[in-house]
Amino acid sequence: MAEIKKAAVIGAGVMGASIAAHITNAGVPCVLLDIVPKDNPNRNAIAEGAVAKLLKTDPAPFMSKRNASLITTGNTEDHMNLLADCDWIIEAVIENLEIKKTLYRKVEETRKKGSVVSSNTSTIPLKELEAGMPADMVQDFMITHFFNPPRYMRLLELVASSKTKKEHLTMIRDFCDVRLGKGVVICKDTPGFIGNRIGMYWLQTGVIEAINLGLTVDEADAIASRPFGIPKTGVFGLIDLVGLDLMPHITKSMLSLLPKTDDYVRISAEPPVITTMLQNKWIGRKGVSGFYRVKKDGGQKIKESLNLTTAQYAPSVKADLPSLNASKKGGLKALVESPDKGGQYAWKLASQGLTYTAALVPEIADRITDVDEAMKDGYGWGKGPFEIIDDMGAKWFADKLAADKKPVPPMLKLAAEKGGFYRTEGGKLQYLTTTGDYADVVRAPGVLKLSDVKRAGKPVLKNPSAKVWDIGDGVLCFEFTSRANSLDPLTMAAYKDTIKLIKSDKKWKGLVVHNEGPNFSVGANIGLVLFAANIAVWAELESQIEEGQKTYLALKQAPFPVVAAPLGMALGGGCEILLHSDSIQAHAETYTGLVEVGVGVIPGWGGCKEMLLRFKNDPKMPKGPIPASGKAFEMIGTAQVSKSAFEAKEMGILRKDDQITMNRDRLLADAKAKVLKLAEGYQPPKDQVISLPGAGGVAALTVALQGMQLQGKVTPHDMVVSLALAKVLTGGNTDPVDTISEKDILKLERQAFLELARNPATLARMEVMLDTGKPLRN
Amino acid sequence: MSNVVIAGYVRSAFHLANKGALRKTRPDDMIGAVIKGLVDKTKLDPADIEDIIMGCAFPEGEQGFNIGRIAAFLSGLPVSVAGVTVNRFCGSSMQSIHQAAGSIKMGAGDAFICAGVESMSRIPMGGFNPMPNPGLVSAGSKAYIGMGETAENLADKYQIARAKQEAFAVESHKRAAAAQAAGKFKDEIIPVKGEGGMIDADGCIRADSTLEALAGLKPVFKETGSVTAGTSSPLTDGASAVLVCSEEYAKKKGIKPLARILSIAVAGCAPEIMGIGPVPATQKALARAGLKLNQIDIFEVNEAFAAQSLSVIQELGIDLTKTNLDGGAIAIGHPLGASGGRITGKAAALLQREKKKYALSTMCIGGGQGIATVLEAM
Repeated sequence: MAEIKKAAVIGAGVMGASIAAHITNAGVPCVLLDIVPKDNPNRNAIAEGAVAKLLKTDPAPFMSKRNASLITTGNTEDHMNLLADCDWIIEAVIENLEIKKTLYRKVEETRKKGSVVSSNTSTIPLKELEAGMPADMVQDFMITHFFNPPRYMRLLELVASSKTKKEHLTMIRDFCDVRLGKGVVICKDTPGFIGNRIGMYWLQTGVIEAINLGLTVDEADAIASRPFGIPKTGVFGLIDLVGLDLMPHITKSMLSLLPKTDDYVRISAEPPVITTMLQNKWIGRKGVSGFYRVKKDGGQKIKESLNLTTAQYAPSVKADLPSLNASKKGGLKALVESPDKGGQYAWKLASQGLTYTAALVPEIADRITDVDEAMKDGYGWGKGPFEIIDDMGAKWFADKLAADKKPVPPMLKLAAEKGGFYRTEGGKLQYLTTTGDYADVVRAPGVLKLSDVKRAGKPVLKNPSAKVWDIGDGVLCFEFTSRANSLDPLTMAAYKDTIKLIKSDKKWKGLVVHNEGPNFSVGANIGLVLFAANIAVWAELESQIEEGQKTYLALKQAPFPVVAAPLGMALGGGCEILLHSDSIQAHAETYTGLVEVGVGVIPGWGGCKEMLLRFKNDPKMPKGPIPASGKAFEMIGTAQVSKSAFEAKEMGILRKDDQITMNRDRLLADAKAKVLKLAEGYQPPKDQVISLPGAGGVAALTVALQGMQLQGKVTPHDMVVSLALAKVLTGGNTDPVDTISEKDILKLERQAFLELARNPATLARMEVMLDTGKPLRN
Repeated sequence: MSNVVIAGYVRSAFHLANKGALRKTRPDDMIGAVIKGLVDKTKLDPADIEDIIMGCAFPEGEQGFNIGRIAAFLSGLPVSVAGVTVNRFCGSSMQSIHQAAGSIKMGAGDAFICAGVESMSRIPMGGFNPMPNPGLVSAGSKAYIGMGETAENLADKYQIARAKQEAFAVESHKRAAAAQAAGKFKDEIIPVKGEGGMIDADGCIRADSTLEALAGLKPVFKETGSVTAGTSSPLTDGASAVLVCSEEYAKKKGIKPLARILSIAVAGCAPEIMGIGPVPATQKALARAGLKLNQIDIFEVNEAFAAQSLSVIQELGIDLTKTNLDGGAIAIGHPLGASGGRITGKAAALLQREKKKYALSTMCIGGGQGIATVLEAM
């Protein structure tokens, strides 16, 4: 099958440039073109400027800054020939039909035969884009609608016509899924497709009802977020994020396409406060202010909110409503039944937003699963609209609508009769079809979700901190179940039991360490360390550290392969798990590092040792005693955390042979395949001895630290922690001509950890971290 | 006994380490090309060369394997030419000239190539394996003190205000930019292969440097200090080579000498104020030459840091209008091992261009030293 070896994006605005960046994240080179600027002698200034801006954008569009070199910039007058060897050309120019069509004619002149051309339009229907297009191009054409920011928002809406070549559709779908990591939803050619049709309706309703009911923006956002399982930006915070200026454009486009009877038309009027904001250019984070703003007063930053009635800013007041408290106990159902304005607001949102959505199936999608996936992947909702209704009870919801004399859409009526939009049957998740039957939710080949495994059966092993699941073919999956997936003595106990189990029965071939997040593990439970230190049970603390070291080492040297499959944060002890695995299969969005110095200690479960071994075994490292110690010191001493799995590879946490999965739904299957591959003729790694610099190394790091102290980069306690770390990483009293064993280094880690744990300044760091979640710089 | 003369001076263009056009050029290739350029320019018979004396501050990696000898191979000199590497940190290639002078005076050779090189892109300052003596460090010795900190110490000790440092840096860039624009570096630069072809022009000089821009920079070495990146010499890639021979040899071979070496000196000082090293070194060298400071017409004072240069200038009472006429290391760059050859060769060349009598070149050295050379026009 054809594959995408090179791509192009035309239109170097924020969206176009970020799409190009994300294509390079897949390792695919990408051309980026824009028009020739009017008043600039550099004809490529727009595209070049866009790449420069990408490199400064936070959160970063590139997974590695190096990817910028995969983008070739140019302009649409001189460089259309650059499209000649591109397999996929994405148009991401302004939402103007004529401009797009003119561009397609130019593209048709230079593109290679059989290349795919797609538009990133969010508002123009496919049939209008296709009108008048040569037949050749029509069969190569489709809409690929990315969500902003493309690296981080999972949704990709794919819209094709009956004339689009099937193999093209398959190729683009697979590329976006496997290589770009997208949740691809094939949509019908309807206005706003799925995500924006529902999302924009939801936001518009959220604004209007907040004004009608007299809620502050803080109150509205508190209601329209956590209780619904929606990100904390809620309604107004989200508009600030995407830009208020976009709303009238999308609304205008939707109104021109939707029938007058569509409920979107009813709610589309622009409230006066919005008009004022647009006139004042209070368009959100890309302007000076929005519904929220941060006012700087001297050295202080004060968050302010807009009063929706007076259009004046005042310091934000945290929402305090009885309905919010009710929702904490009774969930969404309790919220919408609360009599206060918060409860009324929630019901207005639910009764209009969720009902509108239910009425759109099958108009915009044949399956409710597509709608739920789109809202989860495109708007970051924790649950899709149909899952939210199921949480309240479809029948209960339909009855409440009926009691309110509101129409109940057929799909909802069906769900109310059948007992919900989803059910579990024979361990399998099923969804309600438009005909009223239930069908299995089918995962694409190569997708394995732990949640599916968990639904289907019981764990092989469990304790309060961990569960072990059989994921098939003799492979087990170790899942952390503690709060924030922190690690404690029970995790260690579960590890040991797992090792025993796998050793005891030949049917088990190996282990994957994985969970479905949001974070792999935030590290050791420092609350336990703090507790032990406060009551001065030093022997107990030492045995905890030693137990952790032994467990991690046992895992490393177990007679079966262990593959770590992290996504999200893998910090401290969580990072140490990666370091002790035979192989790492990381999701691209893996944020990992040894951050122990932030709480005044050093990595004590073999993290120092494993980083030293990694650097020592790296053939690219300069020779001699210092470089491995120096590199590990720089990384651990500054608590460096990768901003992607690619960065983790540059840092040396992932080795050359460790691999990266772009789509999180494919992570577990990839990791499992790796276990099976490693299991053939598996030999556990043997103890290694290395040489380290000893006292001369400590001297070198001391001199460097003194310089940093003068620069004001090192606090007094940083100095204490760093010197303890330096001693471990240089091998203590060793000499460059001697060798030192892994066990020796573990002992040094243990000693340094315990010495630091006795230091009140370290305990102060731990307390502040536990209280505020932020490091103390003492 | 023969007099010792400087009979030729060349260098590569100087470029910023890690970002400039020479970052991908191996230092041995760079100096090989520069030495070849010197031999071609002076029409020296290569068979007459006794030794290549190579200054290099971090002689390891690509600067290792006795780069003095490697350079002989890379510059196409006959196998009879010997090669040695000398290290006195920033004073290394001035030391090369001094050692040649000593050998000539002893009758141990007629012609020497006194070279210097540093690729600060490719070999980090401090080298790949810094291993200070733990005893010295724990005893609180400043033997390994960072250079920036020493500049801060001098700024404090000699009360060199930040604005004064910045004015000095801007002047350095102004002079270097003017010299560059007037083609005054053309004669001394040997093109070497770099990124994008042959590199024949300096890359560190900022013609647009202003007081306002410098005033906006943050101190880099000390949180509460005054020394910024703008008032420090940049990390630089570059090479230099000077032909040092006996006066008789030059006469015999019809080579036109630039200057006679009247005296040389080195001196130690406290490492935490290493930048003041030129003061005792200059005093010793002047006394040995039998000259007073006010008799010197041309000064080349290496600009490690503006605060450091100004401390030396203030302490010795040097006239700024006679100093670093074509700009100094803050503007041109400071490839550690190559700078001593550059400023001494430059001082000799300036004596000719400016038709003056006496010149002095001097520089400070990490660990607490100074080195100086006094020249007389011929």
